[in-house]
Amino acid sequence: MWRRYGDAIYTLVTFAVFGFETLALGALSISFLLGSTTGIASTPVEGVLLATLTSTASALALLGFFLLGYHFTSSLRDRWHAEQLDVWTERWIGLALEDTPADEIADSPTPRRLPRAAVDAVLSLLEVVKGEEGDRLKAVLARHGVDRLLLRHLRSGHLTARLDAIESLGKARLPQAFDALLSLLEHPKPVVRRMAVRAAAGTLATMTPEPGPEGPGGRFIQALKGASVQSGVAQESLLLLETRAGAVLRDLLAEPDLGDRLRWVVLETIGRLGLADMTEQVAAFTVHHDPELRAAAFRALHRLAAVPEGAQASLLDSLEHEVDFVRVQASHAAAFLPAELALPALEPRLGDDSWWVRRAAAASMARLGDDGVATVKRAAEIHPDQAARDMAVQILLEAGVLDPAAARLVKGVA
Amino acid sequence: MSETLRPKDARILVVDDERVNVVLLERILEQDGYTNVRSTTNSEQAVALYDELEPDLILLDLHMPGLDGFAVMERLEPRIATDTFLPILILTADIRPEVKRRALSAGAKDFVTKPFDRTEVLLRIQNLLQTRFLHLRLNPELATEGQAT
Repeated sequence: MWRRYGDAIYTLVTFAVFGFETLALGALSISFLLGSTTGIASTPVEGVLLATLTSTASALALLGFFLLGYHFTSSLRDRWHAEQLDVWTERWIGLALEDTPADEIADSPTPRRLPRAAVDAVLSLLEVVKGEEGDRLKAVLARHGVDRLLLRHLRSGHLTARLDAIESLGKARLPQAFDALLSLLEHPKPVVRRMAVRAAAGTLATMTPEPGPEGPGGRFIQALKGASVQSGVAQESLLLLETRAGAVLRDLLAEPDLGDRLRWVVLETIGRLGLADMTEQVAAFTVHHDPELRAAAFRALHRLAAVPEGAQASLLDSLEHEVDFVRVQASHAAAFLPAELALPALEPRLGDDSWWVRRAAAASMARLGDDGVATVKRAAEIHPDQAARDMAVQILLEAGVLDPAAARLVKGVA
Repeated sequence: MSETLRPKDARILVVDDERVNVVLLERILEQDGYTNVRSTTNSEQAVALYDELEPDLILLDLHMPGLDGFAVMERLEPRIATDTFLPILILTADIRPEVKRRALSAGAKDFVTKPFDRTEVLLRIQNLLQTRFLHLRLNPELATEGQAT
């Protein structure tokens, strides 16, 4: 029911109506409290009561009519907008696919200033299509001054208008808006920074790569380094870089003054995007003094399904790290070590104090071929620690090596 | 099932909750000569349309309200004979490898990332259909008996 447009008048009327009611009912209450009522049926009280009831009824009727009218006009407006959206979508698709010559669209049927439905339609299409078709649609926005209008709205003092403009520019991915979006990463409002970094990342993904700090990638990196955005937001923006992500992430990791929080984000993103060609860069962090970064490096290696030879020693050391979440991630990554290295190091971790380490160690061993499964089976039967035996049985069950009946038998044997 | 085994006669089903995407894909396919395209913006109808059309290719969005692309593939799985190659081309803005892995294990055969390039979409569709029809040539009984199990 709460809408972005018409909110102000809706709020005003609601407050006026309820304020009026409150005053009237307040007056009635005070008149009762002051003992002016020797009898409820006395004429002045009846008058106040009648006036209050009348005003309340009028106010409620007014509110009711307003609400009904509001919903009626809203649904009419939405239906009309949807119809217009369909009409404009067809026209823009025709233009994008060259069914309709650009001149024909630019001529009389298309107003100089595009209606909202036309802009919404072209922005929705730009979310789906790129290449030559996308470029034709972007040209439409430029021809009708939509890009300039949106850039003007980026500086609007009205937050909703500004957020709308950022969202639209994020869909349009216009290179001419890139620097304006980057400048918003210093905005005092977190919501503006969050939307701006997303829109800028999406735009960068479509821009022509240029090397060096003055190129769009370099400018994005500098803006991101200086921006106060949450780790999740930074990671989301890096994911939105699509095919440009690898180059930006590589440059970010090479930045000497990159903060640890952003480094952590970069390592996470490399893992999530599965950028296998960055395994060596990630492996360099497996000896980092910060446990968060070291764990992030192991988590990334686990996701990349690779542990370079140079990182094998640090992984084996980290299996005994004092911080449990480092041991957890190292245990997960150990699934990608040679079995003869991993198994002797993982087996003791079955008796780790941390449930998570025991689980990660058992799961990794179960992935290390027949020898690994045999080791877990043996642990399920004869490990001196009950928690280790239970975890081994659980992992064998999950891996389908044991069925529930066999698992009960193994527990019985133990 | 296509008896003529010509890619342009292929039956194509488009399932995407965004009407704009559906219209765009329809036009792209139509312009490239595909004449047998059905679409829906309601993923709940995907299975019924599949039964009705018996498509040679499904273009499927992953993130949809209600029944998402994974759930649609799950519902279609028992209807697709194990020896049939029914290509499902996923259209998604989600580029994370785990999403791709999950979709591939659910039955998807290829991906197109949104925003997409028209040429790329058409080439992927063409490749998948060629594979589909080669498979049908090798298993002619599937082409005549229907693919639903």
